[in-house]
Amino acid sequence: MKINKKSIGLLMLPLILLGVFFLPSTVFAAPQPPDGVKKDLLEKGKQVYFRRCVWCHGVEGGGDGPSAERLFTRPRNFIQGTFKIRRTDSGELPLEADLIRTVKNGLPGSAMPPWGEVLSEDEVIAVVNFVKTLVQDRSFDDTEDEEVNVQEFGQMPWSVDQGQIPGQKLYLGIPQADIDAGREVFIKNKCFECHGGEGRGDGNPTMKDDWGFPIVAADWQQCWNFRGSRRDPYNPFNIVRTISTGLNGTPMPNFKEQITVEDRWKLAAFVNSLCPRKKIDKLTNKPVTDFLISSLYTEGEVARSVDDPMWDTPDHDPNWVTKPKDYPGTLNRKHYIAMGGQITRGERNFKPKVDNLWVSSRWSPDEKAVYYMVEYHNRFLSQDSEYKDAVAIQWPGKLQDLYGAEKPYFIFGDSKKPVDIWKANFLAQDYSPTNPPNEKGYKLDVSVEEIVGHGYDALTAKETAPTVEVVDSIFKQGRVKILFRRSLETENKETDIQIPSESFIPVSFMQWSGRNKEKNETMAISTWVYTILEPPIPDSIYYMPPIMALIFIGLEGWLVWMTKRTRKMYAEGKAK
Amino acid sequence: MNKTFISFLVFVGTLVGFHMGVFPIFTPKEPTWVINRYVYFLCIIATLIIVNIVLRLKPPISLNALVVWSLGFYFYKFILYPPIPWTLFITYMMLWSIGTFLFISQDEETFREFRKPIVKMIIGEYKLARIVVFAALPILVGFGTYKALIPKFQEPVELRTVHPAPPATTRVHGKTYTLETQKNPYRIDEQDKYQKSFPFLDADKQEYMKNVTEGGTVFFQNCHYCHGDQLNGLGMFSHVFNPTPANFVDPGTIAMLRESFLFWRVSKGGPGLPNESTPWSSAMPPWEEHLTTEQIWKVILFEYWYTGWHPRTFDDESSIVGVKE
Repeated sequence: MKINKKSIGLLMLPLILLGVFFLPSTVFAAPQPPDGVKKDLLEKGKQVYFRRCVWCHGVEGGGDGPSAERLFTRPRNFIQGTFKIRRTDSGELPLEADLIRTVKNGLPGSAMPPWGEVLSEDEVIAVVNFVKTLVQDRSFDDTEDEEVNVQEFGQMPWSVDQGQIPGQKLYLGIPQADIDAGREVFIKNKCFECHGGEGRGDGNPTMKDDWGFPIVAADWQQCWNFRGSRRDPYNPFNIVRTISTGLNGTPMPNFKEQITVEDRWKLAAFVNSLCPRKKIDKLTNKPVTDFLISSLYTEGEVARSVDDPMWDTPDHDPNWVTKPKDYPGTLNRKHYIAMGGQITRGERNFKPKVDNLWVSSRWSPDEKAVYYMVEYHNRFLSQDSEYKDAVAIQWPGKLQDLYGAEKPYFIFGDSKKPVDIWKANFLAQDYSPTNPPNEKGYKLDVSVEEIVGHGYDALTAKETAPTVEVVDSIFKQGRVKILFRRSLETENKETDIQIPSESFIPVSFMQWSGRNKEKNETMAISTWVYTILEPPIPDSIYYMPPIMALIFIGLEGWLVWMTKRTRKMYAEGKAK
Repeated sequence: MNKTFISFLVFVGTLVGFHMGVFPIFTPKEPTWVINRYVYFLCIIATLIIVNIVLRLKPPISLNALVVWSLGFYFYKFILYPPIPWTLFITYMMLWSIGTFLFISQDEETFREFRKPIVKMIIGEYKLARIVVFAALPILVGFGTYKALIPKFQEPVELRTVHPAPPATTRVHGKTYTLETQKNPYRIDEQDKYQKSFPFLDADKQEYMKNVTEGGTVFFQNCHYCHGDQLNGLGMFSHVFNPTPANFVDPGTIAMLRESFLFWRVSKGGPGLPNESTPWSSAMPPWEEHLTTEQIWKVILFEYWYTGWHPRTFDDESSIVGVKE
């Protein structure tokens, strides 16, 4: 068929009809009264609330339970009736179903756990109705002043590739054209003012919520921390809903009028494309830590620049998502290391700013050296030389003395088993957290400390010649990259770790956010993981398989000869 | 078309059809006496037998052997539940292969019949089959060699004792406690009486709930980061640490421990563990550094009240009369 105006018109006709059919329901959704309180459930709801919820949300629902002071983000204050996750218009009360969903699925990235597995359906509905009665400034029973407009978000317009991870959807394969269009929407609506140039939430350091508590914009590259992501973190719907309804009580507005539904889906596709695909643990709703950091064997010299293609890594976990065909690098992966606040010894850190690190590594037998690239997201860096930002790699000080699985205590070692710590302290040059997005990034002034730890209160700086270098570093759009280098062996065998190849070496990580006044043992920390300097791929891999195949062909020939001979013997009567 | 070939197609078709279409139906979340994976497997076998009989296919012994062996493989790989480790899988498959071999070599005639197509393939009577098999096998061997030579690494597996034997006594804040006899000083009444009480609201009416409220307050300022708001070991930092934090809702933790054991574990934390419990990676603080003795006992009281478990008790506290000394 020739494409002419008439045929296009014919094609458009059903689309227009469809549009007319759906338009009223999307744009002119009729206002309805809020879901009133079901009074008969209140007694049961109170029972559940005072057993499960009161500890964070407080006796009167003011978000001031015993835990509140030590939580970031703080528990929700119910009194004003502001709820984040809704399908109703910005500023309106939520539907009962919205509250039920939030209680059931929890709010990822915060302390709110999913209650759906603990409470029965009846208990959830009951406690949601009790929570409605904690709202004092408005009322779910007020049918005169309150109305809710339920939004329609349409269907996801693409058929997507859900990937290979059992029980987890990855939402890959959205057309690049739509992602690029989404990026245009992102720029046009100035989302970067809060979420930063590359979406790491590094736009605005001064934001407060409705109650005056500090709050930060979401980091789009850690979508498993999106509130309301319903335990389905890669689903672009989560983003569409948030763009459409805003998050009540926070600076996140709604864009219902500014952006059409189609464009909201495209913007969601863009945001969603930034989030690396990993296996997400069903129970904790976080990516699973990579417990083994493999250091790639590298011939010749390792590149000393963080931007070198040698340090390129694919975005997604190569175990589950095949690398793009045009991927230039040879480094197969960066390893995800979960970080938590150091809440065990001394001055504890209940509100760490960094949730994970990504670590990749190479080693070179020619240089006799190993490199570790540590990168992490931190929205805002310190400008205070009293409280510098820092990140450290912790090793057992005396590897040779460890027996079996034995290791030093993971927080700065212990009296018998010391640790060797490589710590990079740094401040960014010409940096201010309120600067607009800077595509070039900021150079860092780095100083390396080498520390021997015999416990968090027994740290000493090494007096031997420095051996650890930071060969390159940068802070760009909310991401720090630090490239550590050290020779495999050093002269100081007493307190420096001597790094063998081809064996499993315990290693762990620490991180300090200067703006959060973190110092000494007040930090974020990982558990012990392992690293291994991988041997090169043996040369035999190139000649052994053909040799084995040839030998096998010989065997086949022999088998044919033998079989034919036996048959002949039968035929001639020599064998029976 | 050759009947043997039809029979082969029937086998492959049945297996694929059942696996794609019927398997999900027979593996619901809660299997019943009829709808379960083993019944599903019997259905496959019945289908195969019935189809072969109805169509009078009379498959040769070599195809029968292939079918029997493959069904064994399918059973151990997909049907048997929970899934078995691969070492056990290899052992089972060896036994199954021997069984299949016994089946084909039960007498001279079946064995000869089994050998017949193989011999014909080798000497070239089945030309196409010989080309395919003789070309494919060396390639497979080469590929296997490649797989075996390429270096692969996985982090070492570490085992640890979750509930180590406690010491006889423990010294906390300058006072020595004998764990054998030590009781929780705040367990002043039967816990079950307070299951419907409200923390905070009833704290000034009931002494017991006052202690529970104070214990809960300590818990939600210190412990929930790891042990979770639901006390199920899934707090917001729980995924960071290895070993993972204890789940108090599980019947294998506080439900089978004595309160004095908890008192020792809470007071001394990770550093107080013996080597078999990997003290170097436990994130449990020695809580005597952060809490008072009273707070530790109250938080233990709270954990039992919240989960509804009762602490384990011995002899004189038991309601069953034993041998009198």
